[in-house]
Amino acid sequence: MSALRYAYYPGCVAQGACRELDLSTRAIAPLLNIELVELKEASCCGSGTFKENSWLLEDTVNARNIALAEQLTLPLLTHCSTCQGVIGHVDERLKTFQRDRPEYVAEINQVLTQQGCAPYQGTTEVKHLLWAIVGDLGLERLRDRVRRPLTELRCAAFYGCYLLRAQERLPFDHPIHPTSMEQVFEAVGATPVVYEGRTQCCGWPISSYATAASFAMAAQRLQSAIASGADCIVTPCPLCHLNLDARQPEIAQQVGVALNLPILHLPQLVGLALGLSPEELGLRKHVVSTQPVLAKLGL
Amino acid sequence: MTIQLTIRRQAPNKSAYWQTFELEIDPSLTILDALIQIKGYQDGSLSFRKNCRNTICGSCAMTINGRSALACQQSIRTELANSPVPNQIAIAPLGNLPVLKDLVVDMSDFWQKLSAVNPYVSTAARQVPEREFLQSPSDRAKLNASGNCILCGACYGACNAVDVNPNFVGPHALAKAARLVADSRDSETDQRLAQYNTATSGVWGCTRCFNCNTVCPVGVQPLDRISEIKQAILARSTTATRNQDRPLRHRQVLLELVKEGGWVDERQFGLRVVGNRFRDVGGVVSLAPLGWRLLRRGKFPLRFEKSAGQAQIKAVITALQQKQPSSKI
Repeated sequence: MSALRYAYYPGCVAQGACRELDLSTRAIAPLLNIELVELKEASCCGSGTFKENSWLLEDTVNARNIALAEQLTLPLLTHCSTCQGVIGHVDERLKTFQRDRPEYVAEINQVLTQQGCAPYQGTTEVKHLLWAIVGDLGLERLRDRVRRPLTELRCAAFYGCYLLRAQERLPFDHPIHPTSMEQVFEAVGATPVVYEGRTQCCGWPISSYATAASFAMAAQRLQSAIASGADCIVTPCPLCHLNLDARQPEIAQQVGVALNLPILHLPQLVGLALGLSPEELGLRKHVVSTQPVLAKLGL
Repeated sequence: MTIQLTIRRQAPNKSAYWQTFELEIDPSLTILDALIQIKGYQDGSLSFRKNCRNTICGSCAMTINGRSALACQQSIRTELANSPVPNQIAIAPLGNLPVLKDLVVDMSDFWQKLSAVNPYVSTAARQVPEREFLQSPSDRAKLNASGNCILCGACYGACNAVDVNPNFVGPHALAKAARLVADSRDSETDQRLAQYNTATSGVWGCTRCFNCNTVCPVGVQPLDRISEIKQAILARSTTATRNQDRPLRHRQVLLELVKEGGWVDERQFGLRVVGNRFRDVGGVVSLAPLGWRLLRRGKFPLRFEKSAGQAQIKAVITALQQKQPSSKI
């Protein structure tokens, strides 16, 4: 099988407070025969707030991001639920508008070309690493590459709102009862833990000003996963990771109980199964120690 | 065919429990038809609301297979396909509202919060005028999506923000609010936007979980309507007013940082949004434990690299900002 090639969109958080996500995505790619061509000229998608200024702002900024991938004739690959939901939704909106409101797409392309950017053409697709693994690589091929089966590990998926509900059409998962994360868990030998709240919000978007409400939301998810016997939460979204991991001590303080639930990024879990070391996956750089997970795997 | 309906039941002041009913039914019928059959032939005490049976009245909203939906709109066949359990459909009352009995919830909060947004067109003179308040077809078209609302409560029952914050007025109320902000006949737009511009009860209390858009049975798309109110608030704000208010500052800072770096420089983000560039001492202090924690674990981003396309993205955003923002949604 020839290599799967993608235009890699790293996003802000994986270059900021969750560098271990960027590290682990890059680490697993060659082991899965995936080639990443980084979009070095891309920009922040706006994380869902650009549309609060105007639809035109969110659409134009992300039309530019998509056009960068189109120039390479590659699919744009995200590894963040929020980036995926925002850019993926812009792509599906603009593809519909090419048919129904061509003057709107022309307005966007006029702004882009006047500023020296390539115009949006609607010729590629936007997909999350999770979908690339399940849909393009395939679970069989993933299973074949497992060097360290994660038996004994009980994993609770936390999908992130934008991955499930921002786009009107998902390539294969179900917005209410998704299974793609759990399918990956099974392929790498882990046991999926299904718990209440796995498809709901982590509270991150309001954490800077409605902090108590944000933490209450996160606490519900963490406590529900713990009550279901999870050893860790695994998420395809670094913003969810920030609330669930980096702020977990404050969340525990608010609800008055110890939590200490490790939160892994999706490529970290896959990387462990592929035989990579915790250091190669940045697993020692979490706020909540991942040591209980590593200990269970004999690491 | 024979199917199972597992229904969450609850008598007043008693604990809830799940009861499974088996029934023989044509799968092309609706969930409401199945409930009516159970009530008629198996258990007359089963309580649920219904009226029009045709997606018009909004009475029969409940939780079907894990999300809010109208029982009269969902076919048994579709729900069997949706269900994670073979041949079984799970039915529960709407979320976020207290149960009166079985699938009937107390909607008092829902109605009170709707009232809280002043959900009536406010004209300068509410007295009967000499002639009608005329509205052009294009102005009327702006109300199409929000005007579809049948006040069924599906969005409210699914709302993540309501779940943790009882003060949040809810997606139904804000969709109605957007309809009034967009209404060319309304004369209180500024007062409305000031009222809806709050961090917890108003538009900024929404956590953008998209549940309301996903479950709305009639295409109101409440999250999109909430976004339109935010657009109107931001369009009327100035740099000074945006800086005074943390939710608005959040939007302002994000845009500034993207112009400055292409990507968001997270070292700056918290300090500027929460700390207001050290002007909000309490804000800076509140960030200290997080900053220290990130530093200690080697997670704090000590360096930041601009996108190679920073100049281009700055030019694109500046060009967009120079276009006139619309003063009305």
